[in-house]
Amino acid sequence: MIYQTILYAAMANLILAMALTLVRLGRGPASGDRVVALDLVASISMGMILVYSLFTEEAVYLDIPVLIAMVSFIGTVAISAYLKHKK
Amino acid sequence: MKQIFLSLLVFSGTLFILIASVGLIRFRDLYSRMHATTKASSFGLMLILIGVALFFNLWPVYLKSLLVIAFVYLTAPLASHAVAQSQKGREDDGEGNAARVKKNG
Repeated sequence: MIYQTILYAAMANLILAMALTLVRLGRGPASGDRVVALDLVASISMGMILVYSLFTEEAVYLDIPVLIAMVSFIGTVAISAYLKHKK
Repeated sequence: MKQIFLSLLVFSGTLFILIASVGLIRFRDLYSRMHATTKASSFGLMLILIGVALFFNLWPVYLKSLLVIAFVYLTAPLASHAVAQSQKGREDDGEGNAARVKKNG
């Protein structure tokens, strides 16, 4: 079935993106690089949960990206404010 | 036929997120990396959310996906601006041109 195959390819895209982002998160030279990589990790996990909700055809999983969007914004702003005021 | 169209929409969204990740790993500067990630990942997430909302075709799903799209498009520039401001504050020590002074002296 071609629909399932395209969804598997989409999930493979997201897994590859997550691997590249985790490489940058591990070896990023400055702290700002790690903050940007963490923001992208939140976006990629939101995409993974959405594609998984298409696999299982259950709409309950739509609650999780709402929470991830709010928490990741607060986390990014908090870490960057901490890095700004650190001497 | 509708399912194939929606899965192609979701696939193009994940392709945008993959492009953002490649930009994060390939660019050399922090500002270039933020330029790569904060726009492409927002657009890819919007494509995925539109695909999911049209797939389920229920009104709570439309409401939640609209909420997530609005929230991501409101907060991604704010978060990127906060990161850039903290990096700039660390580079030139609050005065605006202390890096040039350090280079001269």
